[in-house]
Amino acid sequence: MAGTSVHLVDERLAAFRGEAAGATSVPAVQALRVRWLGRSQGAVTALLAELRNVPKEEKAAFGAKVNALKAEVEETLKRLEAAAEERARASAEAARAVDVTLPPRVPAVGRLHPLTVVRRRIEDAFRALGYEVADGPDIETDWYNFEALNFPPDHPARDEVDTFFVKDGGTGRDRLLLRTHTSPVQIRTMLSQEPPIRIIIPGRVYRKDAIDPRHSPVFHQVEGLTVDEGITFSDLKGTLAAAFRQLFSPKAKIRFGPTFFPFVEPGVEVAVSCVFCDQKGCRVCSGSGWIEIMGAGMVHPKVLENGGIDPERYSGFAFGGGYDRIAMLTYGIPDLRLLFENDVRFLDRTW
Amino acid sequence: MKFRQEWLATYLPGEPPPTARLRERLTAVGFVVETVEGDGPSAVLDVEITANRPDAMNHRGLAREAAVALHREFRDPEAGRPVPEGETPVAALAKVVVEEPTLCGRYSARVVEGLRVRPAGAAVGERLAALGAGLISSPVDATNHVLWDVGQPLHAFDLDKLAKDADGLPTIVVRRARPGEKLVTLDGVERTLAAEHLVIADAKRPVALAGIMGGLDTAISERTTRILLESAHFDPGVVRRGARLLGMHTDASHRFERGADPEATVEGLERAVRLIVADGGGTVAKGLIDVRRAPRAARTLVLRMNHLHAFLGIAIPPARCEEIFEQLGFRPVPVDGTLRVAVPSWRVDVEAEVDLVEEAIRCEGYDRLPETLPAPYVPAKDRRAFAFEDRVRDLLAAQGLLEASTYSFVSEEENRPFEAAAPGAPVVLENPLAEPFSTMRATPVIGLLESARHNVRRGNRDLGLFEVAHAYGRIGTAGPLEERIREERRVALLLTGRRRRHWSETPAEVDFFDGSGAVTALFRGLALPDPAFEAAALPFLAPGRAAAVLAADGARLGWVGVLAAPLSAAWDLEDPVVADLDLGLVARRIPPPPDAVEAPPRLPGSEVDLTVTHALSVPWRELASRVRDGAPPELVAVEAKGRYRGAGVADGFVKTTLTLRFGSPSRSLAREEINAWRDAAAARLLALPATKVDGIPAPGA
Repeated sequence: MAGTSVHLVDERLAAFRGEAAGATSVPAVQALRVRWLGRSQGAVTALLAELRNVPKEEKAAFGAKVNALKAEVEETLKRLEAAAEERARASAEAARAVDVTLPPRVPAVGRLHPLTVVRRRIEDAFRALGYEVADGPDIETDWYNFEALNFPPDHPARDEVDTFFVKDGGTGRDRLLLRTHTSPVQIRTMLSQEPPIRIIIPGRVYRKDAIDPRHSPVFHQVEGLTVDEGITFSDLKGTLAAAFRQLFSPKAKIRFGPTFFPFVEPGVEVAVSCVFCDQKGCRVCSGSGWIEIMGAGMVHPKVLENGGIDPERYSGFAFGGGYDRIAMLTYGIPDLRLLFENDVRFLDRTW
Repeated sequence: MKFRQEWLATYLPGEPPPTARLRERLTAVGFVVETVEGDGPSAVLDVEITANRPDAMNHRGLAREAAVALHREFRDPEAGRPVPEGETPVAALAKVVVEEPTLCGRYSARVVEGLRVRPAGAAVGERLAALGAGLISSPVDATNHVLWDVGQPLHAFDLDKLAKDADGLPTIVVRRARPGEKLVTLDGVERTLAAEHLVIADAKRPVALAGIMGGLDTAISERTTRILLESAHFDPGVVRRGARLLGMHTDASHRFERGADPEATVEGLERAVRLIVADGGGTVAKGLIDVRRAPRAARTLVLRMNHLHAFLGIAIPPARCEEIFEQLGFRPVPVDGTLRVAVPSWRVDVEAEVDLVEEAIRCEGYDRLPETLPAPYVPAKDRRAFAFEDRVRDLLAAQGLLEASTYSFVSEEENRPFEAAAPGAPVVLENPLAEPFSTMRATPVIGLLESARHNVRRGNRDLGLFEVAHAYGRIGTAGPLEERIREERRVALLLTGRRRRHWSETPAEVDFFDGSGAVTALFRGLALPDPAFEAAALPFLAPGRAAAVLAADGARLGWVGVLAAPLSAAWDLEDPVVADLDLGLVARRIPPPPDAVEAPPRLPGSEVDLTVTHALSVPWRELASRVRDGAPPELVAVEAKGRYRGAGVADGFVKTTLTLRFGSPSRSLAREEINAWRDAAAARLLALPATKVDGIPAPGA
């Protein structure tokens, strides 16, 4: 019988190796472990029990063989278990795999209106120069909108502003109307605040203009007012130049042309050098190299007086223009109506 | 206003200026040349003349400005030319009585006899045609020529059609109209006059609307042989009010309203008479009728040179100022560091020193101004209201909503259902652009509905829009503005369409809770406690899906809900959710930023559920407050976990599962105490009638 027992161990080892080769799944490996290392029924346990029947002189060799087998079985099972678990994990992952090219679940992205974005840019430009934001009501009285601003009753300058009036809105200086410019806030501010005054007034204004690509009965202006001792006409030019450089381009230049507004004297039309073509001439500036952007001037002494400010002691300047137009210029918006239609295909973009 | 280059050049001796240069220089001194038709002498310039410069609304006046702008000489070739007069004294032919000397400061007239009415001569005809003026007859065209030449409006009457006074003389009376008096004007329209109108009458009836238009009955015809030529100065206000009352606007009224030269009546008259006689023959009666108030002395203003410097920020040498004023027709005299300047009669716009400053810098050129900045002073403070509104915008955009901008007025019909949302009664416009824009909106929600409809019609039905805007209301009819009109800053929201839009999810439409959720998220963003929603009946919201939004202090800040079905149908929308909050009220409640922050507890909290079966009429708010009231400080939150109606729950009842979260910053909580708190909460819930709590015996059971 010599050698038979050892041979038996070799046979078992070969059998184990054969079984192990097929055990790839977690249950198969578990079954393999039970079959070979199970405490009562396991093959290794059975081999160890066999030791009793092994002739004395072979016991040592047999024992060593069985131990080697046991070590290999344990080692192999550990490896197989790890591999099977890894495979199971991989297949579980594979089952959860997605087509990453499918459309994502995008949280809604909101947007600010371009008029808000432009208004903030303007406010920032002037805030950097020490200006505060002020406002006033949309529905005004004749006095604030016209008379205090040196548009006397029955003055032809009023013809140039088509005004909406409120039904049963009273008469004379108390007559209610929709403000045609943000300038009434100049008066309101002067009456409520001592100089120095440095404010900008963004807001809605109304004129009875038919709706077309360049006109709207509702639009937005930003007005500025500075009142202090020693404010000069040159300060107006420098202030606007500084703001436009911040707003448009560090290279922006400005140009004044004489014009008339009842509430300023002198009154000027302010043009900014065309930043779209560097004054080479383009469609935006109609080839002139300049874009007329706002009206401005030195506050008329009568307006200062109406605001309760002594024109002999103080001087000031005011400026104002439509920022719907600045938005249109800045972003190349072709039609003013787009700003009020709220088509989501127009609104849903970053300005 | 149109100007012919050749005509301007008659006032600029020497070589005529090139058109392009003329255009550039006129624009530079404030007369913007908008277009030029043609080139050379026959070029026609379209020039924008601002309302303050009636003196430049004629060729001579604009040429004076051109001379200054081009640094050229200005000369009037017609000045001082005599009128050839006949023998008959004018006083024997006509009489003028001015009853309203304050409204008609001057009335000058001449009579021409033996006239043959013919077409105007070629030179006059060509000029008027170039400006687009119709040609009528030599006398009338002569008056038009004078209007465009020197700016004096004139009128020619057929002397033989003027009714005679008791003394047998055709008589002109300048008076107010008698209410109801009628006059057929030259355009053939019968006008009914009011006391506001100043008229030119003969001995019997009005024959012209002073400063506006002549009458048809006394107009020049082909048979006219004797004319009375009127050249007067009328008060701007009376002309303007009169013209507006009748809805009229004429070349004459345009000039009188803005202020004609009170000294130009005779000069205009003489020019016209010379033209008439040259074209149609006839004899000019001897002498002039000239009824006027005492001539006013020229206005004299003082320009302080140091003030000019301080005001402009640059100096203009006194000699240069003098030169500018002289060229403009002013008479400057230097006195002690000032210029004493006599203002010419035609410059009705120059009333004060500042106007002289403008003349000086305008002619000197704005390019000379340097760019300086005022000295810095107090740093600007941020006005909280604006920062707040912009924060609201940012928070709503961060929620995924798009900011809209809509008109402030809507139609009366669109506004009516929302009247309860307005700060007052409707504010209606007297002269709207059209009906869709007649009423100041009661809430910006109306504009959002309009925008939503626009989008849905274009195939975009999933929408989330907001706008920060005014709502308007009338609160009174008299007194200061604040007692008549109330404007509130509001934020309006509109949600419609699908909430879930991903291919992996079952689509769901937005509902009430998306609206109340958006409002709550905004409140959280503003550091406000979550608002309470209280069922409300609002005519424009669907009953049962409408709520008032309440602040923690109970104040009503606005509303949220599903639009009422008839309105949804009218707007072509399906159950849009809308909301409107008064930002003034919201802003007032914003707490200051935290000044002491406690670290969050390290220990995990515990939670426990309670399932309550209760009547549908018991609102969640009631359940939650019953759980909270009387709970220990360890109760951190009460959340709704689920709602169930259906099998096992009686009709009119609902099963609500609440999750109670407990936690303590300092200790871990024992299961027993949590259970005790839960049972106490359950007992408070069971106090509601017909209520059961799963696993807790009803009281007395």
